[in-house]
Amino acid sequence: MMLFPQAPSHRAFRVWVRHLVYYRSFYLAEWAGNLGEHILWLVAFGYGLGRLVPSLDGISYAQFIGPGLMVSVAMWNATYESTYGAYSRMRIQNIYESMLMAPLTVGDIVLGDLLWCASRALIGSSLMLVVLSLFGLVGSWWAVAILPILFIEAVMFAALGLIATSLAHSFSFFNFYFSAIVMPMFFFAGTLFPIKGLPLWVERFSDALPLTHAVRISRGLFIYGHVENFIWHFSFLLGFTFLFLAVACVLVSRRMVE
Amino acid sequence: MPGFVIDAQGIQKSFGTLKAVDGVSLQVNPGECFGILGPNGAGKTTTIKMLHGAVQPDAGTLRVLGRDVATQSRLIRAQMGIVSQEDTLDRDLTVYENLWVYAGFFSISRKSSLSRIEYLLDFMQLREKWDSQIKTLSGGMKRRLHIARALIHEPKFLILDEPTTGLDPQARHLVWHRLRELKAQGLTILLTTHYMEEAAQMCDRIGIMDGGKFLLEGPPQTLVQEKVGDEVYELRGGASEELLDSLQGLPVTAEVVADILYLYSHNGMGVMEHLISWGRKDFLRRPATLEDLFLRLTGRELRD
Ligand SMILES: Nc1ncnc2c1ncn2[C@@H]1O[C@H](COP(=O)(O)OP(=O)(O)O)[C@@H](O)[C@H]1O
Ligand SMILES: [Mg+2]
Repeated sequence: MMLFPQAPSHRAFRVWVRHLVYYRSFYLAEWAGNLGEHILWLVAFGYGLGRLVPSLDGISYAQFIGPGLMVSVAMWNATYESTYGAYSRMRIQNIYESMLMAPLTVGDIVLGDLLWCASRALIGSSLMLVVLSLFGLVGSWWAVAILPILFIEAVMFAALGLIATSLAHSFSFFNFYFSAIVMPMFFFAGTLFPIKGLPLWVERFSDALPLTHAVRISRGLFIYGHVENFIWHFSFLLGFTFLFLAVACVLVSRRMVE
Repeated sequence: MPGFVIDAQGIQKSFGTLKAVDGVSLQVNPGECFGILGPNGAGKTTTIKMLHGAVQPDAGTLRVLGRDVATQSRLIRAQMGIVSQEDTLDRDLTVYENLWVYAGFFSISRKSSLSRIEYLLDFMQLREKWDSQIKTLSGGMKRRLHIARALIHEPKFLILDEPTTGLDPQARHLVWHRLRELKAQGLTILLTTHYMEEAAQMCDRIGIMDGGKFLLEGPPQTLVQEKVGDEVYELRGGASEELLDSLQGLPVTAEVVADILYLYSHNGMGVMEHLISWGRKDFLRRPATLEDLFLRLTGRELRD
């Protein structure tokens, strides 16, 4: 407390509740939109593009990208909410400022926001899971075990997004963030195509991306019910999550306390 | 010893090369209402933000409610209500949700927050607006909701940064009335204002701030008495050099602003006779006010 006066605490839950109260006013529209978008992605890629793709390791292309799509939905949702959403809360609507006039710390606000972004992302991914199971693409109950992994992944991307938000001076900064960070991550993490067999440097690059590890764990659980090198991938994910969380706390503190 | 609610010693804050607050010392007692007066850019908001930890002082020591702001601002904020100069209401939520969510930030239980919210909506005359969106509220309603939100946890100490700026007279008087009630209940209040009437009516003591410093501090009536006098004579259309020279021997201070001659006096009797003997009956004679003091101290040129 004395050493880190802005450290997060259980009060982050109260921040999360604020976002939930707001969410109650529009969640049905969001769910409907999510479902439609998910079906579109699956049909366009899984079945449209999938006709051209030979079976991969004995599974169909639609099955292959299923977990990849769940992981990407978590990333995209968490990223949108922690960039456009959080920027509006922090810089335009003064919501962070009003929270800092109550007995909350910057850490409480940051953690509450991240948990919220991750909750929303998890809802999006769960809806994707529903779509996948409607299309008969879920092979085992292990698929549900992906959800906690996706939650951690979403916290990690929300923290990364919040770092971008604390550095941004306008919404246009996010164009840069999306094209320089999020898009490459999306394409090189093995969500839509396998990385194995590409040039070695591409494999190395892919291994260094946080998203890749979420994809490996998810695909393993989703299709085979077990994950090779689980501890390694999981530690990578968790390590990045805590690192980004700490950096986000420091940068948002700098932005909020003059 | 009850101790000071605010105990600031030589606090300073610069933004780049600009000294926004330049060595402010201030002590406020429990139950007291202290007003900070000052033109735009004087450093009032920066001073207030330092009290709740939103701005960190570059130098000086600052204790609020007996705690050090640098290390314990969260605990201080748990006992303090803040009405900021800017609107920080949550536009995504309704009136009721604003209060309910904010009560949560103070860890107030759901049950006790419900009765508190009802009480505050009545107190601030907002009851019929409880389910409204923030954007449908008038400026005065938003300000009242802001004050209600700052009172949600029954604070010991309330800070208000320009609580009535931009309000119409009815709304302003309602706010003043409520603040006086709160003061009577023993709440300590610190406010900033542009309305001299507000400061004169509400505050036990005021500080006049300009250029990041307090120029003067004390009870408003005493300050006006000491620094301006009892009475002011205003002569429109100005006065001749001869008349000005003739005032030399009298106990008055003269000031010429555009086409008005102001005479500030401590015992007006001689002055009135003097003016009449010079054939001037077109003067306005009135009691000296805080506004006279304010303008004499901070000058008359525009600030923004
Ligand atoms: N965050 C900031 N960055 C740079 N300058 C600032 C900042 N906040 C306030 N100032 C400047 O500090 C001075 C005092 O501002 P402020 O405390 O808001 O005055 P007041 O509330 O009395 O009008 C002004 O000149 C203002 O422009
Ligand atoms: Mg101000």
